[in-house]
Amino acid sequence: MNTALKIVLGCWLGLVICAALLFPVVPAPQSWNEFPVIPGLGEKARILFFHVPMSWVTVVAFLTSMVFSIRYLRSKETADDLKAVASAGLGLLFCVLATITGSVWAKFNWGSFWNWDPRETSIIVLLLIYGAYFALRSAIPSDEKRAALSAVYAVIAGVTVPFFIFIVPRIIGSLHPEPIVNAEGKVHMNGSMLAVFLSSLAGFTMLFVWMLNIKIRVLRLAHHHSKEGD
Amino acid sequence: MYEFLADHALYTVLLIVLICWAGIFFYLWRLDRKVARLEKDLRQ
Repeated sequence: MNTALKIVLGCWLGLVICAALLFPVVPAPQSWNEFPVIPGLGEKARILFFHVPMSWVTVVAFLTSMVFSIRYLRSKETADDLKAVASAGLGLLFCVLATITGSVWAKFNWGSFWNWDPRETSIIVLLLIYGAYFALRSAIPSDEKRAALSAVYAVIAGVTVPFFIFIVPRIIGSLHPEPIVNAEGKVHMNGSMLAVFLSSLAGFTMLFVWMLNIKIRVLRLAHHHSKEGD
Repeated sequence: MYEFLADHALYTVLLIVLICWAGIFFYLWRLDRKVARLEKDLRQ
């Protein structure tokens, strides 16, 4: 990622944060910088500019990990294994952040930090699945065996991601608000809210790409260092 | 001061979130540069 792009990302997310927190939430928006009231959310709707992009990046990261794992199984290149583990690590980080932000929101909207809502249950299952991925990796000393077994595991785990994020919470009745993807097929946002939301999604995705790039390079250096030590 | 913070809670949240983002951004920036330096050393 070049320097100009990094500066753009810094300013972009800075502006998104300002817009997400400063634009007023009003019952009937008249101006371009006003958000509508989402039923049942009110001012608390601002969480969706941070919580949803974190969940989005979680899905992107886990699916990226699955793609690199498939590539590893075909090529047996260590570089693909390093990319898969870097992506899964970031996916786990963003999954934890999405869980924490969701839990804080639940405290203010539902009255307690944890309610075992289908959304909360499915994200915990996802955390456990990817926690087990890292436990599996740390339990195998041989490099080739570790890479092959964890690649197979990451492919199976990757298949479950859309199921736990998009399907399970819609099969079982949930209190989780759905202003974007819902049964009515209607977006409960006005133009400015949607613009800030999509800008946040783009910013978080760029941030993920940058973090992934750094993490892959760090893992490559560590791998090189350990090979030199052998 | 306390009165201002109580009346303008959203500005306080904005300030904290911006400080957090600036911290994360400069941490990543420095990390990126350090990794680039290590890669350069390795190539030489």
